[in-house]
Amino acid sequence: MMADNRVELHIPSIMGFEKVAMECSASVAKKMGFTEDRIEDLKTAVAEACLNAIEHGNKLDTSTKVGVTLTVGETKLQVAVKDEGKGVGEISPPSIENKMEGKDKPRGWGLFLIKNLINEVTFEPSPEGGNITKMVIYLEK
Amino acid sequence: MNKDIQVSISQKDDVSILNIKGDVTAITGESIEQAYQKVSTGGAKKILLYFDQDGYINSGGIAILIGIASESRKNGQTVRMTGLSGHFQKIFNMVGLTKYTEIFQTEELALKDF
Repeated sequence: MMADNRVELHIPSIMGFEKVAMECSASVAKKMGFTEDRIEDLKTAVAEACLNAIEHGNKLDTSTKVGVTLTVGETKLQVAVKDEGKGVGEISPPSIENKMEGKDKPRGWGLFLIKNLINEVTFEPSPEGGNITKMVIYLEK
Repeated sequence: MNKDIQVSISQKDDVSILNIKGDVTAITGESIEQAYQKVSTGGAKKILLYFDQDGYINSGGIAILIGIASESRKNGQTVRMTGLSGHFQKIFNMVGLTKYTEIFQTEELALKDF
């Protein structure tokens, strides 16, 4: 569905469907004129935000959906990923050394990747319940 | 949606090559782990992970590769990687995986002086 400068889609809380949101974001970013490198960054960030929403937000509950809203601006693209969960607390940055030594589980890179690939990211509760991850990526001039 | 990967094993001299075609994720990772275990059981000390340039790798897949890198250290194996797109080379650098497994631009370079 497209309303003005927005594209909205809903994906089921099933691993693998994050690729649908990822490809949709890539199509919008390509249309806006983002470079291939930045589109790849965006794809990874959107996929990771959706995976977090599917796995940690919606707990893989197939009766829930993940909402993805892309808002096109003149110089930026905002992607909001909404889940129906209670949110997760602050997570300490992952350490490859700890993971290699078996002190931490090897997983837990999603937020790290989002923060390192996207210009701005915020996490906020949704007024209707659930949580929203808002990511902004800027067109480079 | 778990048909997104094919992993085959080949051998060049004393190097075991895991040819990974498709997505590297938490879901598909089992196929990679099984191939790794198979060559490890066979006594492999040099292992090359040959990725698909167009493949999708997510954080779950990165975790699988960290697991293999960690186990290979305990087993005294050397693991190298090739076939990665520029984006995923950057991602692997970002997470620090390249401290433990070196990335090569081509299979030929990866096999040289292994």
